[in-house]
Amino acid sequence: MNALVVLAAILFLLMALIGGKKGIRSYLALFFNFAVIFILLFFLNDPNIDPIILTIMASIVISCINLFYINKVNNTTIPAFISTIISIVVLLLLIIFLTKNAMIQGFGEEEVEELSIFSLYIGIDFTKIAASVMIMSTIGAITDTAIAVSSPMREIHFHNPTITRKVLFTSGLSIGKDILGTSTNTLFFAFFGGYLALLIWFKDLSYSLGEIVNSKIFSAEMLTLLCAGIGVTMVIPITSWITALYLHKNQKKID
Amino acid sequence: MKNRQVIIYLLLLLAFVASLIFVTNNYSFYDRPIAEVTQAETTDSTEVIDLYDNKDRLFTQQITAELKNGDHKGQLIHLSNEFSRSKAYDQEFKIGQKLFVSIDEYNGKQTLLTGTIKDLKRDTYVLIAAWIFAIIVLIVGRKQGFFSLISLVVNAVILSYALDLYLDQPDRNLIGICSIAVILFTVISLLLANGFNEKTYAAIIATLLGTFLSLFISYLVIWLTSEEGLRYEELQFITRPYQMVFMAGLFLGSLGAVMDVAITMSSSIFGLYEQNHNIAVKALKKSGMEIGKDIMGTMTNILFFAYISGSIPMLILYLKNHSPLGYTLSMNLSLELARALAGGIGIVITIPIGLFITIYFINRKRAKL
Repeated sequence: MNALVVLAAILFLLMALIGGKKGIRSYLALFFNFAVIFILLFFLNDPNIDPIILTIMASIVISCINLFYINKVNNTTIPAFISTIISIVVLLLLIIFLTKNAMIQGFGEEEVEELSIFSLYIGIDFTKIAASVMIMSTIGAITDTAIAVSSPMREIHFHNPTITRKVLFTSGLSIGKDILGTSTNTLFFAFFGGYLALLIWFKDLSYSLGEIVNSKIFSAEMLTLLCAGIGVTMVIPITSWITALYLHKNQKKID
Repeated sequence: MKNRQVIIYLLLLLAFVASLIFVTNNYSFYDRPIAEVTQAETTDSTEVIDLYDNKDRLFTQQITAELKNGDHKGQLIHLSNEFSRSKAYDQEFKIGQKLFVSIDEYNGKQTLLTGTIKDLKRDTYVLIAAWIFAIIVLIVGRKQGFFSLISLVVNAVILSYALDLYLDQPDRNLIGICSIAVILFTVISLLLANGFNEKTYAAIIATLLGTFLSLFISYLVIWLTSEEGLRYEELQFITRPYQMVFMAGLFLGSLGAVMDVAITMSSSIFGLYEQNHNIAVKALKKSGMEIGKDIMGTMTNILFFAYISGSIPMLILYLKNHSPLGYTLSMNLSLELARALAGGIGIVITIPIGLFITIYFINRKRAKL
């Protein structure tokens, strides 16, 4: 039996058992997201379409899946969605600056030896692909933080409808502070777990600190991790502000 | 308070400027020669079409650069650079960029030194990104932000030390070393994030149980299926027994997410108890499960995207070289998917574990009253 199939089956059982209907929806969302990445991959193979535009479109679809499909359309997910998209666009500006200047695209010298059977001149703009990868690695964490801030804000507003917009914004920020540490931690371990082999390799071949920091692979990983961290942090004030604005506008409509 | 804040921000600004000046002038700390591009001219370009009909363009660049360190400091060096439009394994250099170069033997006749380009100096950009991250975390998180930065740094140091321990004596068990490291990571990160209280203790116990149980499940599955479907060839940088390195990475990779779930469960259930000390255990269980359902979807997604996205450039390269789709996917995604699935199992399993441990702590607290 294929190990991946067994792991996927165990995950499904656990999610269905513990999460019920919502658990099954969450599990299916993983598959839909995989399908989105798959479709994105095919479009990225066409050198005539700009990868950055494709990535923004994929981010919108993925946010819809993560927010609207798992949690339904309501006054938590709508502000979370808007905030996710704003954060991604802002983050993208930073990422484009970094990928253009730090030139971390494509493959490092450590990887390229085993790629010798491949033609590397394939006409795809790898600098933009690098920006796309950085956004895609972060999108899960950004939607997670956005919903984690906006959902308790709605509860606060629900229990206390006369709360002012400013107080609501501040309470959103303080919720954000509590989850900030664990979100960055999640990303930190995910990246270092994934690149454990690389770290051992650097140590085994006794790379100096200067060589590690300047190498394409390590700096690409570090920049991805840092941009992901910037993304999950930035989404906190943005979501607090947008959710406060949104809930207040809705309140006025009801009144 | 206001004064103190001003001082803190000034200190930060000072540290930022100082480190930036350092990193843009740290040439003498490098053994490898560094040169700054002063002139770059594209002299030649040709259209290329590869075996699979992919069109690309190759350019040749003539570069003059000024050496910044070593015996030839201040001298100009002539470099030639070839790059393609797609830049998968080459770069187009611009004026002002700093390069690591190697200098050819000087024969005494030429007017200019010549050499080859080794790599780009990237430390400045890593530093800038690190500062943006640190500053935005401090602005948004204030004191908690500061503690989370500390915990990231401490964790990085522990990880590096743990790897040194393993590499010193390769017959040591990497999983064993990682287990000890995992306990340290969990205790330090959660204490720094939430302080010394029952919420944190409950989260620590739940995290450790969750991670070790999910490691056990993944290990069992991989062992029972005799690793079918896992393509270890894709572990590129490997100098050690690969299964062990992979399992250790899988173990560490899910730890952050499991901690996140554990602390969310314990602090929200404790929150309910603090609002109403007489709340029934049954009600706590029900609310706890609801919270768990809310977080499991997005949490599994975080790991999924963090792992899968990194493979995109390699997938494109394979597909553009007309590799069969099934082969491409299994070669490049099998380990990432295994990591994401194992991490997902850890996340989901920690929900009931966190729930019951927290309720145990609440019951203990009640009994004391």
